[in-house]
Amino acid sequence: MTGRRAPASLTLRLAWRLGALMLAAMAAAAAAVAWRAIVTVRDMDDAALQVAARTVAAHVRRGPAGQITVALPAALAAPFLDEEKKIIYLVFDRQGHLRASSDAVVAPSIVPFVPAHGGLFRVPGGRDGRPMLGWLEQAGPWRVAVLKDHEQSQALIRALLERFFAAALWLLGPIALGAVLVAVLTLRHGLRPLALASAAAARAGPTHPGVRLPTTGLTRELMPLVNAVNDALARLERGLDVQRRFSGEAAHALRTPLAVLTARLNALPEGPSSADLGRDVDRMARLVEQMLQMARLEGLPLDVSHRVDLHQVAVEAISNLAPLALQRGIDLALAEGTTPVAVLGNAAALVLALSNLLENALAEAPAGSVVEVEINPPARIAVLDRGPGIPPAEREAIFLRFRRGGRSASAGKSAAGSSGAGLGLAIVAEIAAQHGGSVRVEEREGGGARFVIELPAERGNG
Amino acid sequence: MRILLVEDEPELKLLLREALTQAGFAVDAVAELADADEHMHQGSYDVLVLDLGLPDGDGLALLARLRREGTGLPVLILTARDGLEERVAGLDAGADDYLVKPFHIPELISRIRALLRRPNTLAGMQLEAGNLAFDPIERDAAVAGRLLKLTTREAGLLELLLRRVGRVVTRTAIEQGLYSFDNPIGSNAVEVLMHRLRRKLTEAGATAEVHTLRGVGYLLAPPK
Repeated sequence: MTGRRAPASLTLRLAWRLGALMLAAMAAAAAAVAWRAIVTVRDMDDAALQVAARTVAAHVRRGPAGQITVALPAALAAPFLDEEKKIIYLVFDRQGHLRASSDAVVAPSIVPFVPAHGGLFRVPGGRDGRPMLGWLEQAGPWRVAVLKDHEQSQALIRALLERFFAAALWLLGPIALGAVLVAVLTLRHGLRPLALASAAAARAGPTHPGVRLPTTGLTRELMPLVNAVNDALARLERGLDVQRRFSGEAAHALRTPLAVLTARLNALPEGPSSADLGRDVDRMARLVEQMLQMARLEGLPLDVSHRVDLHQVAVEAISNLAPLALQRGIDLALAEGTTPVAVLGNAAALVLALSNLLENALAEAPAGSVVEVEINPPARIAVLDRGPGIPPAEREAIFLRFRRGGRSASAGKSAAGSSGAGLGLAIVAEIAAQHGGSVRVEEREGGGARFVIELPAERGNG
Repeated sequence: MRILLVEDEPELKLLLREALTQAGFAVDAVAELADADEHMHQGSYDVLVLDLGLPDGDGLALLARLRREGTGLPVLILTARDGLEERVAGLDAGADDYLVKPFHIPELISRIRALLRRPNTLAGMQLEAGNLAFDPIERDAAVAGRLLKLTTREAGLLELLLRRVGRVVTRTAIEQGLYSFDNPIGSNAVEVLMHRLRRKLTEAGATAEVHTLRGVGYLLAPPK
């Protein structure tokens, strides 16, 4: 869990990329519009200046004293008079001398920048030191230069672009947002059946092998995955089914002849040999029983999803073994705290595990002693006896299959012991493990053994 | 006492029929569900002993049908299947008791007797353990023929124990059997009641003994 990066989100990725694409498109459109605006304004400037130059050239007059004047009619003179956006003209003769101008103050600073041939030119510092744009026109003996503030065109471009962005962004913004939204919603909607499939998949397991992922509403892209998972589930179910059938058939095949044998022995007249035979058959039956239980536990995982009251488990296990305890002269008791202890698990399996521990304890405890079951929170079941206990070196090995551990010596002597040995403790360990728990044995204070099944505490509510 | 035994293993069927007959029961033994059905409709039985894996179907199906029809007939299941879940399935389907093969015939007989002692069957039958006897109708208890003076609650407690001789009666079962919901009981009411009953039994010289399983319940053991 820790240190692992969360998986990438398809929705987020789509939103990001689409958003980025939209931004890039908007930027490209803006750049194109800006470029167009600049070009257009410049073309307009060129044309306007050219027209102005020709107008001026057409009205150049040589006075009687040889002085040059420009006699513009009032209608045409206006642009040259406007103080703010005034257009300036300069008239040169063939030798390049300045002969007339509309603004005697600014004219000298412009002269050095006027080109030798006609066309567009720039003046970096004209009126008030501002850059100006000019056009030189050859008209007969005159060369006429017309200039205007360059900033005027800049301002025009700026105004054009501002207007464009004000209008376009209002339009492009919502469109981009809408596109991202539509994409995300489409994706979400398309993936929604996946949530149903996930819920179904979460239910699938050895105890619910029939679960299949729903395919309704799935998009074509998701179909192959879901179909493949369903096929895999079907194969697993078949495998489990074979296992389950075998388990059942093996149990039947082994138990039935043992039942006949037991019944036949019960029908025999009582005597020493029939009692011996009875014990042998009981031992055999017990071992077969344990092997079947072990095979069952290993072949088919337990359904451990039910809420189980450990108090109930203890009452059932103790009740099951009470007749045996009575026969051995041993008392069984349940000591428990005041709080109820619940776990998620399999009640029948937990009863079986506790019964095995009790059987084991009853085989070891001396007559007249008490075998106690303790239940403690968060989820602990303990069985305490006053038998010889388990030497430390044996405390792990006794939970292995067919290991009798320190109890073999006494177990061999009595039928009781032999019924408790064998697979019993291995079955307890297996059941505890399938619950996500464990079993261990300790020394009991004052002598004897204390077997403890530790289960994970119930998380949330089952 | 008539028993219908449904068991498909021929030798086991034979051995069980003999043993049950010897124990004083009238036994009809069949090997298939269809035969069992027919017998159920013709005769009246006190107990059904039912094997689960039968050649023409599952005994649980017959049991489920009986329970759907509302038959209260006590049913004891015999089975070679004992998956951890199947025991629960059998009891869920309405079985009254459950024995896994192989089993001892005396155990089967005592289980059948326990079923016959149940309240819904054969009222008037005397409940016994050693020299202790109890008449569920008259609610009289007697030790060695001498009448025992018991309160209503004490008689009820004795009846609960006698109906499960040799097996545990849990505290919860006693509380539910003797006290009503609207009459809550003190934490040690059952202990006090049991103490009084035990003293009366001992004083009267009863041979059956009440054993305590601390924290669990009580068990009435017949004399050995």
